[in-house]
Amino acid sequence: MYVAATIKQKPDGATIYQAHRSTEGIEARELTGSQILCEALMREGVEFIYGYPGGAIMPFYDALTSYPALHHILVRHEQAAAHAADGYARATGKVGVCVATSGPGATNLVTGLATAFMDSTPIVAITGQVARPFIGRDAFQETDILGVTQPITKHNFLVQRVEDLADIVHEAFKLARGGRPGPVVIDVPKDVQFNTTQYRASTSISSIERFRSTRAPHPSAEAIARAAELIKGAQRPLIMSGHGVILANAYAELHAFAEKTNVPVITTLLGLSAFPETHPLALGMPGMHGPAHVNRAIGESDLIIGVGLRFDDRVTGKASEFAPHARFIHIDIDPSEMHKVKRAAVPIVADAKEALARLMEVVEEGDNSTWINEVRRWEAENSERSESIQRNQEYPDPTSILEAIRAETKDEAIIVTDVGQHQMWTARHYTWTRPNSHITSGGLGTMGFALPAAMGVKMGIPDATVWVVAGDGGIQMNIQELATLKQEGITVKVAIMNNGYLGMVRQWQHFFHNGNYSETPITGPDYIKLADAYGLTGMRVTKREDVEAAVRKAMNTEGTVLIDFMIESEANVYPMVAPGSAITKMIEESPDHE
Amino acid sequence: MSDQTQQGGASQKGGTISAPPRPPIERPGQADAPAGTDQTHTIVVLAHDRHGALDRIIGVLRRRRAKMQGFAIGRNEFPGMARITIAMNDSEVAVEQLVEQLRKIVDVQHVENLTSEQTVARELALIKVNSNDSQYSTEIIELAHQFGAHVVDVTQQTLTLEVTGSEEKVEKFLDSLQSFGIREVARTGRVAMIRGVA
Repeated sequence: MYVAATIKQKPDGATIYQAHRSTEGIEARELTGSQILCEALMREGVEFIYGYPGGAIMPFYDALTSYPALHHILVRHEQAAAHAADGYARATGKVGVCVATSGPGATNLVTGLATAFMDSTPIVAITGQVARPFIGRDAFQETDILGVTQPITKHNFLVQRVEDLADIVHEAFKLARGGRPGPVVIDVPKDVQFNTTQYRASTSISSIERFRSTRAPHPSAEAIARAAELIKGAQRPLIMSGHGVILANAYAELHAFAEKTNVPVITTLLGLSAFPETHPLALGMPGMHGPAHVNRAIGESDLIIGVGLRFDDRVTGKASEFAPHARFIHIDIDPSEMHKVKRAAVPIVADAKEALARLMEVVEEGDNSTWINEVRRWEAENSERSESIQRNQEYPDPTSILEAIRAETKDEAIIVTDVGQHQMWTARHYTWTRPNSHITSGGLGTMGFALPAAMGVKMGIPDATVWVVAGDGGIQMNIQELATLKQEGITVKVAIMNNGYLGMVRQWQHFFHNGNYSETPITGPDYIKLADAYGLTGMRVTKREDVEAAVRKAMNTEGTVLIDFMIESEANVYPMVAPGSAITKMIEESPDHE
Repeated sequence: MSDQTQQGGASQKGGTISAPPRPPIERPGQADAPAGTDQTHTIVVLAHDRHGALDRIIGVLRRRRAKMQGFAIGRNEFPGMARITIAMNDSEVAVEQLVEQLRKIVDVQHVENLTSEQTVARELALIKVNSNDSQYSTEIIELAHQFGAHVVDVTQQTLTLEVTGSEEKVEKFLDSLQSFGIREVARTGRVAMIRGVA
């Protein structure tokens, strides 16, 4: 009944896995819970499962070998399974799947679930649970994972009867991807995995339709008309686009809307690559590490058109002083985001794609050239200043590394960043042009995200060149996944910006704690030897002039390559806004400590 | 209906203990509830009575650091559903957001803020008072009648009373009983609904 996955080898060594859907059997068959889990995952079109076996999930792993189309990737730590599923989901828009056993296996998923929750990405996590009679009795490897994950999941299920299992799996997928996406946990007791029931593939799941969290409300004609009126009357309008534009695949709509109205576009960290930065209307990233002219433009703006963003505090700084002269049109699929940070004059609860398309129909062509020229003048003033601060000719500096990657990949790479200084440098200086080419942990700021997430990205988009850009702190948090990359033959290229510090924390200590570098100096392994030990290739670059050659060599080397870029140890990310202060108050140079 | 007309009229006995003032529930550093803008809100939540549904509702309230004044849960007219009445003190802005967050919970079917509506709100209290003196008993029973309360249990040492009404009425009844010595109080918290056809 099932055909093994078709495995195609690409000329560049990349492997394409093609999952075959199960034939839709209408006849009911007696199956175990484990088999039903597999059947239901097949029906959902799952290609990859990132996981780690253990006692309470063993029946599922036993059944898994009969379903070769479900390609399981054995990670080295469950946290990586959640991040890989997350990376896959971000890159493909499909639901990522991870699996862990009960107790420590399940709790190791927690950071990954919280990461997906904060950034609204769809993943389904299946956890084993101790058998039902043992639940609540402190059994071996028992954790109340429903209780633990309750505040960091969109929903979670404990499967109490094998008869409910198939429906729950389909509900979980629908919940994960519907409305504002998010992670969903399915906790399956071991005895339920063994129990049998009649399984029919044509399970009806219509009952889920009533859940409002899976629905995308349609924008009201009245709200659209009011928004169009505000846009027409605005002198200094700005579009702020967030992750919602990417999740809704609304690139074309955003592009058309911005051009027709002639409104400049700001992209938040998770909105980066939603709008090409080479476009004359593109301004860049706002907030804590955004360039000064962007934050200044927000300060002067009289209308903010927010699309699929939640006005996070890293974007707004002190919320009461954020865009003090502006009115807000806020488009978001989640009604609880309306008025949360800034009161919206026109709240539009809708999918970004539909809302922008509807707005397009009614807005008039605009001309904001005076306003745009003013912002561009501020930009020119600032870039002269920052150029002199940023560039260091001796060390491989972040900008040169990013430029080399962009050049060597012909601007076609997907960049997965970790968290910290390198993340901000990459966000600021990469020049994003391809939709969804930037993947990072924004809301939760999870160090250790990049390497395992990149694994999921590469498997989701096997034709893409995937580069990880990470710091020497974050890369060591999930470095064990190099073994998974090796075992699975997944190729990602890794650029470590190594400054021997937990750089962003050190920068904060420099600015806000009198330069008291408490516990931020950090050593690491010899990355050449480490890569070698994992059967991969490692390189080290200590001089600026060697950057391009190293990146080229990495691109021409088969398999996963690590490059240890020894960057300047105390470089800072400029400009910077102190947490809790207005974003127009930017720090552009180092304070003096004696 | 009789809440406004019936006042606690019992004379105070010697050595009275007045009810200690309820300490304010503080939420230090709360950003969105400027002082003086808060008021008591009544929120009704209809939820599917499924595993974990209540946890999630309480979880949202916990995260918002809501100042809880009442939380009553019981059945309603639909099988498999629970009706939860939450009484809480917060600013209008914070409550609006709370309502939207509650609506996001998968098992929650309906959320309504009854604060500004014409509503009927009642609670029930069981009150056990000392009554080891027959003179006391007569006085207590007389007082109970004034408040429309019933005697539900009698022992040598105690009388247990059941009273239904607004929170103010229950408070007043409790005040009136203080002088006899209250041994135990069980209050359900407010349940409420909109008057007429909503």
